[in-house]
Amino acid sequence: MNTQAIQILFLKDLFLSRWPMFGYLVGGLLSVMVTCLPGESAGFVGFILMITVTIAAGIHLIGALLLGESIDMTRTFIMSLPISLLDYSLAKISVVLVAFLIPWFGMLACLTIITFVVPEAKPGILPFLVLLFLFMLGGFCLQLFTAVVTESVGWTIVVLVLGNVTLNLFLKMLYEHPAISKLNKSEVLSWPPVVLQIIAIEAIVILIALGLTFMFQIRRKDLV
Amino acid sequence: MNTTLDRPQQNTSAASLRGVTKSYKHFRLDNIDLEIEPGTVNGLIGPNGAGKSTIMRIMMGLVTPESGTVSVLGKSISSREASAKQDIGFFSDDMRLYKSESIAFHMQFVRSLFPSWDEGYAQQLLDRFGLIAQQKVKGLSHGQRVKALLLLILARRPKLLILDEPTNGLDPVAKQEVLAELMQIVNDETRTILYSSHNTQDVEQISDTITFIDRGRVIASNNRDEFLDRWRRFKLQAPQNWQAPAIDGLRPESTFGNLRVMTMDRYQTDVEDRLQSSGATLESSEAMTLEEIFIAAVSRGREEKQS
Repeated sequence: MNTQAIQILFLKDLFLSRWPMFGYLVGGLLSVMVTCLPGESAGFVGFILMITVTIAAGIHLIGALLLGESIDMTRTFIMSLPISLLDYSLAKISVVLVAFLIPWFGMLACLTIITFVVPEAKPGILPFLVLLFLFMLGGFCLQLFTAVVTESVGWTIVVLVLGNVTLNLFLKMLYEHPAISKLNKSEVLSWPPVVLQIIAIEAIVILIALGLTFMFQIRRKDLV
Repeated sequence: MNTTLDRPQQNTSAASLRGVTKSYKHFRLDNIDLEIEPGTVNGLIGPNGAGKSTIMRIMMGLVTPESGTVSVLGKSISSREASAKQDIGFFSDDMRLYKSESIAFHMQFVRSLFPSWDEGYAQQLLDRFGLIAQQKVKGLSHGQRVKALLLLILARRPKLLILDEPTNGLDPVAKQEVLAELMQIVNDETRTILYSSHNTQDVEQISDTITFIDRGRVIASNNRDEFLDRWRRFKLQAPQNWQAPAIDGLRPESTFGNLRVMTMDRYQTDVEDRLQSSGATLESSEAMTLEEIFIAAVSRGREEKQS
């Protein structure tokens, strides 16, 4: 493993994705700000915008950094350099993940601060937000896995659509669950066992998806 | 480059492929043996879809063969091994740079991976190729894009250049500029070039040795001058019932009434006399161009495969 080459590849891709990454971070933070505006509909609009920005960031970054290399035929250039498949895979999967995590984490951190700072906000909603953001991260990891395995825009979009449908069902489940729905209006932050169990399941899905993504990528025989 | 079916392993070769096989749905690279001597310019000629690009990609570790061994600059090649690529410059016709970035961005990126990067030479190449470092890749013409890629390859001073159809689609002026640069590299006897094209004139211009490939098989491989010396075309007037003498390497090419056209790939000076004494009248004995040799060799190779 050539750590210097991995670092160079990582920084190159981070640089190439700087504008979409920055754009989604700004868009995400603005969405969070919208949730703080007075009125129930502002909160709803901000919430929808946040989910939209996160989903758009995921598919855009996977398309630009991963699928785009195959479509734009830049991978042949990269793989002609003294870079092994392991170096390439580590750098590529890490940078796609980090590029997504920057707006994702920016939004979640901002929301966390708001729940404690804004007087009207209820800190009890934080577990719900963590569950939602981890769910969207899990969906992103599954899209990443699909993109790596199939190298197909079509299949990645299929997984994206399935993820969105599942997200609606997941939100419905959270709202209807007595222990979780009760938290949303609570002034006190608490983490009931059901929340921790769902977080554990989400974490396992994320880890498995990332592990499989990496495993499939390094077992690839033909790179172009 | 020579076929090496019966040759012992040589550690001194710039690159060596032995028994390399790779199958796709509609194409098979079949038991390829190639030996590339250091300090030589090797032309790989074949029609589109012959397997030239696949051979080169296998040599770069971009494609994994199903069987056989590949060694480049004394190191085994695989997608898991990157060190050999430090001294190889690879160009492919379908290789692209990042559209939104400038040539300077790519120069800086490649420089960060190659301690051997020669900035002075890179600047010379920028001037010689008429490129502007700050220009974005999306604004480059096809010829400028090829030159930019060659700059990125040449400025790191690789020991082995693997060039897959570098002159494809270039206008005559750009093609000459690229070939002239390659000719300069050829003067450095420590550097080896493997150059593929379906244009025999380009390959003939710079190659020491030439390999013909067709439908995934090496059909002939030899020194360029020997190719030109050994191949001949004869035009004969001969009666309908004339039987061609049994001369090794002599094959009929075409017949127009009594006019027989024959080609030969093992020419010796007594062949004309033997043809005359067989009852035919020799109208001409001509040296063949590399393109004619290539077409004849492909035709023979396909006939042999069918039989």
